[in-house]
Amino acid sequence: MTPLERRYALLGLALIAPTVLILTAVIVYPLLSAIYLSFFSIYTPTLAGKAVGLENYRTILSSAYFWHALWTTFVWTAGTLVLQIGFGVGMALLLNQNILFRSLARSLVLFPYFISTVVAVLVWRWLFNDLYGILNHLLIAAGVIDMPVDWLGSMPNAMVSVITVGAWKFFPFVVIAVLARLQTIPEHLYEAARIDGAGTFSRFTDVTLPQLRDVLSIVILLRIIWDFKEFDLIYLLTGGGPMDNTRTLPLIVYQQAFGLNQMGMAAAYAVAMMVVMLVFMLAYLAYSRDRSTP
Amino acid sequence: MVNVIFNKVQKAFGSVVAIPDLNLEIGSGEFVSLLGPSGCGKTTTLRMLAGLEQPTGGEIRIGERAVNNVAPGERDIAMVFQSYALYPHMTVGQNIAYPLKKRGVPKSEHPARIKAVADLLQLGPLLERRPKQLSGGQQQRVALGRALVRDPKVFLLDEPLSNLDAKLRAHMRTELIELHRRLGKTMVYVTHDQLEAMTMSTRIAVMHQGHLQQFATPSEIYNRPANTFVASFIGTPSMTLVEAEIEMAEGAAFLLVGGQRFPLPPSLVMADSRHRRPITLGVRPEDISIASGEAARASVKLVEPTGHESIVTLDLGGAHFVMRAAGDVALRLGEAVPIALRIDRLHFFDRESGQRINTDAERPAEFRSIAR
Ligand SMILES: Nc1ncnc2c1ncn2[C@@H]1O[C@H](COP(=O)(O)OP(=O)(O)OP(=O)(O)O)[C@@H](O)[C@H]1O
Ligand SMILES: [Mg+2]
Repeated sequence: MTPLERRYALLGLALIAPTVLILTAVIVYPLLSAIYLSFFSIYTPTLAGKAVGLENYRTILSSAYFWHALWTTFVWTAGTLVLQIGFGVGMALLLNQNILFRSLARSLVLFPYFISTVVAVLVWRWLFNDLYGILNHLLIAAGVIDMPVDWLGSMPNAMVSVITVGAWKFFPFVVIAVLARLQTIPEHLYEAARIDGAGTFSRFTDVTLPQLRDVLSIVILLRIIWDFKEFDLIYLLTGGGPMDNTRTLPLIVYQQAFGLNQMGMAAAYAVAMMVVMLVFMLAYLAYSRDRSTP
Repeated sequence: MVNVIFNKVQKAFGSVVAIPDLNLEIGSGEFVSLLGPSGCGKTTTLRMLAGLEQPTGGEIRIGERAVNNVAPGERDIAMVFQSYALYPHMTVGQNIAYPLKKRGVPKSEHPARIKAVADLLQLGPLLERRPKQLSGGQQQRVALGRALVRDPKVFLLDEPLSNLDAKLRAHMRTELIELHRRLGKTMVYVTHDQLEAMTMSTRIAVMHQGHLQQFATPSEIYNRPANTFVASFIGTPSMTLVEAEIEMAEGAAFLLVGGQRFPLPPSLVMADSRHRRPITLGVRPEDISIASGEAARASVKLVEPTGHESIVTLDLGGAHFVMRAAGDVALRLGEAVPIALRIDRLHFFDRESGQRINTDAERPAEFRSIAR
């Protein structure tokens, strides 16, 4: 290495050092310390405890509680994801048309995404309330039901409600991403397809969808990650009930750490969650590698 | 083969009238270019024919059929877009097969038809590639292939060569001429490049601000422009247009320009024998030359050598003429040279309306045969 090259190398190190340090402080350190904690049995208020090795993991993997929560998390994630993508793509297609008040509609659609989850959940709980909720009131008035329905306190209603509110809250993200992509599809492609004899449906499947493929796979991956670890919306809406039927893994992590004061156990749950997410990540990486080497 | 008729067609975009009133009849098997400056309505005209734009008035016919209310896919036309508009996620083969697929052509026929088109356009080795992996000229051929595969009645081409470099453009020009000769299909070709229009077309429709200026063979357009717009638009360097007068005296006619008097042959004497008539005179650069003997003199203002020829600007009593001269012409600036006009090739336009006023008899029309 010549002196000049060495100086460049040192400069490079100096320039990336701050980033590496910050990443280490905010990502690597918490990650490692969570894994470390998961080998202990720790009482949260005092943070005192003893090493138990893999005992926490053994407990988790052999408990029906964990597997049920994992299943619940999958149901919630899959359900809300399907609705988010369906509504999101549909709304993006609609907003991409020359409809009346288009820019107003575009701003309004973003509303659920921007209001605070707490506020949104309070409003929805009021709508869902079985005694004075407007939803039951309207449905009874319309003659659809004749008894008030318990939307949040019974199954499968509670899961359906959580999934619906989740879809409502997060579909604007899909709209933004898909709409941005839709606007870059050249109009000429649609015109060429029309001349080639493609109808409305063919134009959607043959021109629009292929162009949306990349953005949709990114959006779906991000939404899976975010929905999988969603906490506040579910916690505030049902608290995990009824009977743990909407208690997803993040809610258990919280419950273990601060309800049962089992910090070590909570860490083990968190690490288990991370492993599941890792599977998604690897699947995605494999998929994107396949695409880039035709 | 079918003809195409625009009958009193009008197109307005809101309050912008792009095409006020278009009447055009394109013969069966013709190669017609729509030529004009930017914004004159060429693309709009083509898109109305394709069905991508709805006329706000009048009627468009393809063959026997009025197509105003016929969807683009049902018009039995094919179009090549300036941007090619190839489907990016499909291979070349799939792009070409797409119109067949959408029109329910039996799958068993696809390979043979794709092969025929691929052979014609030399696309064979490219069939498995995606558009992104092709050069501009190759993409252009694929776009042509997608248009050809279906055997449509009319081909529409919107500046298909404008994205290519000069050499490839010249090459594709010959290819297109050859293709038209071989297929004998009616083709409508939009361009703002007069060289393309002149070399490829059986007839050219010159447009300006939405109005059809002249619709005639290339040689007719060049030799007998219908008005001053066509006269100045066609030809490089442009035709010189200067104010002049025609004078009638005792059965003889004279052209007065730049303070000079040029006798006109009796055959040019117009029926309308006003004593003096103000006109706009048009002279192509090749129809003015340096005279050998005594003649009116003009001074040399500018000499622009281009290699094989020189473009000389002359000043004749305040009127500026552009002259095409030999590449090695030896002229000094300010020098007064005797000039000669080819009287039989002058163009006279009405000073006010700009319309051509030469009588038809003075020169036999050199029509280029339509069936090339
Ligand atoms: N969608 C539209 N909305 C409003 N005005 C339009 C629209 N399309 C075309 N025009 C107008 O119609 C006129 C003709 O446009 P057109 O695209 O046909 O021109 P062109 O001859 O193809 O020009 P170019 O050589 O630049 O492509 C122009 O004045 C243009 O501004
Ligand atoms: Mg155009």
